[in-house]
Amino acid sequence: MSRAFHPLAIPTSAGIGLRSPHISEMLTRRPSAGWLEVHAENYMGDGVGVEALERLRETYPLSVHGVGLSLGSARGLDRDHLERLRKVCERFQPDLVSEHLAWSVADGAYLNDLLPLRYDEEALAIVARNVETVQETLKRQVLIENLSAYVAFADSSMNEAEFLAELVTRTGCGLLLDVNNVQVSAHNLQYDAKAFIDALPEQAIGEIHLAGHATNQVGTDTVLIDDHGSRVPPVVWALYEHAITRLGPRPTLIEWDTEVPVLDVLLGEAMWADMLTASIMFGRKQAARQAAAIKPRPASPTPFEGVRTSMPVLAAFAAAKAGPVMANALTPMEGRYDVAA
Amino acid sequence: MLPLEHLQTTMARSVLAIEPMVSAKMLTAGKADPLARLRIYQNNTRSSLTAVLMAVFPITVRLVDERFFRHVASEFIRRHPPVESRLARYGAGFPRFLKTIDTLSDMPIVAETARLEWAIAEALDTASLPARSLAEYDNTDLGLSPDILLQPSLRLIVSHWSILSVWMAHQQETVDENVTWMRRPERVALWRSGNYVRLFLLDRASFAFWHSLKHGLGLEHATGRALALDPAFDLVSALVRLFRDRLVTDVRVAANSPSN
Repeated sequence: MSRAFHPLAIPTSAGIGLRSPHISEMLTRRPSAGWLEVHAENYMGDGVGVEALERLRETYPLSVHGVGLSLGSARGLDRDHLERLRKVCERFQPDLVSEHLAWSVADGAYLNDLLPLRYDEEALAIVARNVETVQETLKRQVLIENLSAYVAFADSSMNEAEFLAELVTRTGCGLLLDVNNVQVSAHNLQYDAKAFIDALPEQAIGEIHLAGHATNQVGTDTVLIDDHGSRVPPVVWALYEHAITRLGPRPTLIEWDTEVPVLDVLLGEAMWADMLTASIMFGRKQAARQAAAIKPRPASPTPFEGVRTSMPVLAAFAAAKAGPVMANALTPMEGRYDVAA
Repeated sequence: MLPLEHLQTTMARSVLAIEPMVSAKMLTAGKADPLARLRIYQNNTRSSLTAVLMAVFPITVRLVDERFFRHVASEFIRRHPPVESRLARYGAGFPRFLKTIDTLSDMPIVAETARLEWAIAEALDTASLPARSLAEYDNTDLGLSPDILLQPSLRLIVSHWSILSVWMAHQQETVDENVTWMRRPERVALWRSGNYVRLFLLDRASFAFWHSLKHGLGLEHATGRALALDPAFDLVSALVRLFRDRLVTDVRVAANSPSN
């Protein structure tokens, strides 16, 4: 029988993905972290991690992020796996539940990777049916995450953003905007990352993911690899700034899955996300104040007047961090990641 | 245009490097070669699942060296990909697969050690229930042959080879060169205790005793089997040990007990 947890709402601030090397430290230190997200598949057994997560759930708001439901599988959902996901949700009572716009199961094999769909009416009908099944089973809305991709299908009749927007209309699902995935796919498939974000229904976006990626040079092809193995790069911070400026604050997650660093690095990245959001919202508030002013103000009597009403110091640091980034984003990146390795 | 299910089947086989590959005409990748990009998915699948196997079978990796392990794991993944996304269940067939590798035919300890490591992985993913003490049953009439329920994570393995000795020797950073594997039957009991797995060697009688209890055959049957193997089997000591090792999760009156 499931234990009862106090409902803990996920705030519109930054959280971190809970990874096994950090669980012990999280339990002993209980650091300030807005919220936690876990991969559902890691908590479907009865191992040590499950007991630890129950203890952490008492303190931290929780999001459950599925990676194995294969919502895009033409053969439909694995009902046993969906039932396991239902039990995870029943056990931990998360505030958010999310999955991917992808498929990973076909021909009886689970590929442990998220593959893209051919974006057409047939796929839309299949994914919509699968999302409705999930939402009916879990008795809640789920958020669907955009994908990082290395190929697309020539016969797609719509783009991914159009597909997601229509999926929201048909199923009432929400969206998880993975900003790093947008950057990776936009670079690899050569489309406009900001236009992708702008094409999504903003009210549906209930969560944002941030992560790092690797850059792989194969001949003349520079491909971004979504490896979640480094700090959020400048180009992704810049895209996040674009998203927050348009959407306002959203629960934002720092994901890190390979070469996982010490916990404080993740917490630091989360802090930067919060500071950047604060600086954007501060700027928006300032702009609104100025627009609302009936009479134009006289010029500042001293160059330091602005200091009295300026953004918080840390927010200023965050803005400064994102600022030069935009220029750096255009700098060609080099890497040695070998796809054939 | 292929129906989606057919397209996904073709893609999945391509990702697992099974011929025929998906046609390049079906894919786009900006200015890049789509089939070169497809290799990223092949690499992701192979490397992530290899990492799963390396995490489950760390001592096996050390026994054969990492490059060889990666080679074998890659072939295992291609022939036996996971059938479900719960990767804690992936690798059950790996020890048996190792037995089919010709290169390892004169090193049976490799597959046997992998069998032990899979049992450890299973135990770690199984609940650790609260243990009961003997004192809790002081005033309970349990009949002549109660059922003794043991921790669900308990795994019992018998091997013709010295698997536990080899496994223990490889727990150190530097392996003692004097420790080598040999043909010597070892009966191993292991179970999860909190954050750890405890492993013990058992004698034949104790192994039979634990095995019978684990499979719900009752105390009388378990004792009979143990005594058949060793007339000196000490039932009291065996029971005390089960409680001391926090293996007993419940004691119940047997369904066919006269006192029931």
